[in-house]
Amino acid sequence: MAAKKASPDLVNSSFSFKSLKLKTKQQELLLRVSILGLVYVLAFIARLFSVLRYESMIHEFDPYFNYRTTLFLTEKGFYEFWNWFDSESWYPLGRIIGGTLYPGLMVTAALIYWTLRFLRFFVHIREVCVLTAPFFASNTTLVAYFFGKEIWDTGAGLVAAALIAICPGYISRSVAGSYDNEAVAIFALLLTFYLFVKAVKTGSLSWALGSAFGYFYMVSAWGGYVFIINLVPLYVLVLLITGRYSMRLYVAYNCMYILGMLLAMQIRFVGFQHVQSGEHMAAMGVFLLMQVFYFLDWVKHQLNDTKLFQTFLRITVTSAILVGGIALGVGTASGYISPWTGRFYSLLDPTYAKDHIPIIASVSEHQPTAWSSFMFDYHILLFLFPAGLYFCFKRLSDATIFIVMYGLTSLYFAGVMVRLILVATPAVCLISAIAVSATVKNLTSLLRTKQKVPQTGSTKGVGSSKSSSKVTLDQSQPFHKNGAIALLVGVFYLLSRYAIHCTWVTSEAYSSPSIVLAARGAHGNRIIFDDYREAYYWLRQNTPTDAKVMSWWDYGYQITAMGNRTVIVDNNTWNNTHIATVGRAMSSYEDEAYDIMRSLDVNYVLVVFGGVTGYSSDDINKFLWMVRIGGGVYPVIKEPDYLVNGEFRVDKGASPKMLNCLMYKLCYYRFGELVTEYGKPTGYDRARGVEIGNKDIKLEHLEEAYTTSNWIVRIYRVKPPTNRL
Amino acid sequence: MAIDKKLLSLLLLVSSLSSIASASFSDPDSDSDLTNELASLRSNSESGVIHLDDHGISKFLISSPTPRPYSILVFFDATQLHSKTELRLQELRREFGLVSATFLANNNGSDLNKLFFCEIEFSRSQSSFQRFGVNALPHIRLVTASTAKLSDESGQMDQSDFARLAESMAEFVEQRTKLTVGPIQRPPFLSKAQISVIVAMIVIATPFVIKRILRGETLLHDHRLWLSGAIFIYFFSVAGTMHNIIRKMPMFLQDRNDPNKLVFFYQGSGMQLGAEGFAVGFLYTVVGLLLAFVTNVLVRVRNLNVQRLVMLVALVVSSWAVKQVVYLDNWKTGYGIHPYWPSSWQ
Repeated sequence: MAAKKASPDLVNSSFSFKSLKLKTKQQELLLRVSILGLVYVLAFIARLFSVLRYESMIHEFDPYFNYRTTLFLTEKGFYEFWNWFDSESWYPLGRIIGGTLYPGLMVTAALIYWTLRFLRFFVHIREVCVLTAPFFASNTTLVAYFFGKEIWDTGAGLVAAALIAICPGYISRSVAGSYDNEAVAIFALLLTFYLFVKAVKTGSLSWALGSAFGYFYMVSAWGGYVFIINLVPLYVLVLLITGRYSMRLYVAYNCMYILGMLLAMQIRFVGFQHVQSGEHMAAMGVFLLMQVFYFLDWVKHQLNDTKLFQTFLRITVTSAILVGGIALGVGTASGYISPWTGRFYSLLDPTYAKDHIPIIASVSEHQPTAWSSFMFDYHILLFLFPAGLYFCFKRLSDATIFIVMYGLTSLYFAGVMVRLILVATPAVCLISAIAVSATVKNLTSLLRTKQKVPQTGSTKGVGSSKSSSKVTLDQSQPFHKNGAIALLVGVFYLLSRYAIHCTWVTSEAYSSPSIVLAARGAHGNRIIFDDYREAYYWLRQNTPTDAKVMSWWDYGYQITAMGNRTVIVDNNTWNNTHIATVGRAMSSYEDEAYDIMRSLDVNYVLVVFGGVTGYSSDDINKFLWMVRIGGGVYPVIKEPDYLVNGEFRVDKGASPKMLNCLMYKLCYYRFGELVTEYGKPTGYDRARGVEIGNKDIKLEHLEEAYTTSNWIVRIYRVKPPTNRL
Repeated sequence: MAIDKKLLSLLLLVSSLSSIASASFSDPDSDSDLTNELASLRSNSESGVIHLDDHGISKFLISSPTPRPYSILVFFDATQLHSKTELRLQELRREFGLVSATFLANNNGSDLNKLFFCEIEFSRSQSSFQRFGVNALPHIRLVTASTAKLSDESGQMDQSDFARLAESMAEFVEQRTKLTVGPIQRPPFLSKAQISVIVAMIVIATPFVIKRILRGETLLHDHRLWLSGAIFIYFFSVAGTMHNIIRKMPMFLQDRNDPNKLVFFYQGSGMQLGAEGFAVGFLYTVVGLLLAFVTNVLVRVRNLNVQRLVMLVALVVSSWAVKQVVYLDNWKTGYGIHPYWPSSWQ
């Protein structure tokens, strides 16, 4: 189905609606609208695999926080939400929610929810949250269509819409249930870019205004807006350097920057950062440069003498650069302009994070990308991308320069961090769509000119509507027909492989909610592990309401959202020291850990353990990061103490510190009595494939409170201190 | 714990008292001579690391009476092993020099002559290596003032103590000798003179560059340059080069089972070897460029036979490349991607 739509030009050219007696233009419009409609629906339903295979629920970790805040927003109203101080997380510090989040996603979902209510559709807010991402993915396909139309032609727009609808790089973050900022942010990102390109093309204030508001929406939704505020100035700079300065560019950029900045500063989490932090300085510099350009233009207009102008030019430009440099230097030195944040810095100097910020380096989606991930997420788009680049350079305009720059910068960043593949996806889809569309159009028009040699006048139909410059073919070449057919077959084969790949990947790889785990049994049947929710509901129903739960930060959001209990740290990693304290507790001996836990008023400790089921992303495998993060703040924790010859082991050869630290004890408590696999000794850890080294674990200050049915989550109660006599 | 500490401090007190006592009994002149000689050797050597040979070892460490007025930190070096990069000898030697230079910069007065940094080289002082009982490198040993036997291994620096290079070495020294080394002062990447020259050059060049830009006659106005740059960035990204740089992946590995065989492709997603990424990136680029070439350049060629031939070659090469990449991807990730047919068809 997707393959058919991925190449609408062929459909256009071979169908004829003579019986309906529509004019050619009307036929084309009808086809275009219906194809777009189908793509819109396809983008939505392809993302419903997760609901079909599991159930309608929120996925992963961060979405649980978003869900919790949305629930709060719909129940208490906007002002309560804006001023919310959350005492249930980051105990004992708490967190000011309104000032430390990007509210765009929650507000969007709440608006949809209120609209549905107003229309008398009584849905639960959870369903709205689950389906927000697919809905916005559908909208993205529309934007992609208009963007493609803007930079190339309608054909490319349609192909781009079809490609992005099922591209795994985008689906990975927008399946039903992944209620995360990126779900709406990619839509906002593409919309901003589209409106800006349109503004540069037309020079109209209204489009520039539109892009400023698009930017505002993006800022309200995701921290990735920094990419926009750096890419746009870079683009303007390139246009200036290559001598493409124009009044249109001046209007578009100034309006977008000034208005966008003012609007962005209304988001509390961004606030004055927008004029103070180093990440935003490029935009301001280019803004000033634009004024210099405009001024020079004006002076040139006033002065008729060219020699005088040359002298003037030299003086102005040199002094402008000097003043700018001094201002930047003074600003940075006086602390008025803050230096770059770690995440941003690690993009420019990729080895930075690994050496300096373990908390960024520890997250799996911040790892550098191997070629197989690109292949997995883009498939044939990677082959088409260079061809698309070539086509863009063949027909250079302000719009194609933009898309090329967007594609290249985002591809570079995608190489640095796996998660940024998402940002590159729209660009890759658009550029590949240009390649597909231009190729197919060339070939089909070639075929048709052959068929209709007598009636040459009528060939200017649907296929070659706008880009007459593309048809560079001579008339009399008998070979071309065969060659064209062969190439066409090749292209269609590729596109159908793409459709197959995307469907499979969506269904098998990207639809897992990761809070419910699925595995294949020995007979090919599906086994579901629902241990996480079992544990969280246990917490909710069996512990006092003011109980504090300590766990590694990955599970913080889920515990607060589903277990409704206070946590020490959660996935918002704003306070490194606090996380390091938990890391230190987990990697200390039990009595030392007990002191730390007492000081934090911890009542329960929760660990995730995959030794019984073979679930590999459990706390033991994350343990080295706890040591690293803990050791980064408390030098008493040293990584080599937990390693044997640089190797991380849990069996008999493990280091004594490892075998007796809190995390090891909590994970493997009473595990030594258990037979996990036939033919193996007791205490055989299936996740790491070894027999554990310490089977006789005695707990002194903690006691087992609850272990879920597959042992994935284990909860321990911290005993109160013993009475002193 | 507390008892341990008290015991330790008591021992220290006793030992220092005894050392003072013995120092007063031993010949003070010869001691200060040795110290002065070491200090003068140090002032003549680069970053304060004294190069000792067998003679120096026997003079300063063996023949001198045991409560010496100084400690010596010895770095064991071997030029013949410099080619083995996994030992990191040269890097560690540089870091050792840094610690020494920092110690010199941060101490003056009496503490300065309590610790000397020395190195001995294997080919020229083999007997010293035997005396120290060193048979594996890298090896750094602290010979404290009271160490009587050189083969006493208690002063050996652990693997973990130079894991974090100069910083952890300094910690080790501070712990053992109770002297302060201070924060490590690394030389800046570019010296001040270099920076000022670069800045001056940029300032001078700016007006000329701007003039050329305004005239529109720079390389920047050449489409081909931009195009090749763009293709290069594309190739650079999709080949996973950033992965290779960040993870410091080698180009290929040696097969564990058969040392003569080289492994170019690593099975398992999320990891890759250098050559593997480049090979695949090359295949991507070739197919894309062939497509552009066939649809844009080939159609202008007049000769039919040439056209046919090139077209055929392009088709065969592209389909082979696509097949190869898809096959490799399936092999690497272990996924079997298949279409979903309606169940009634099966």
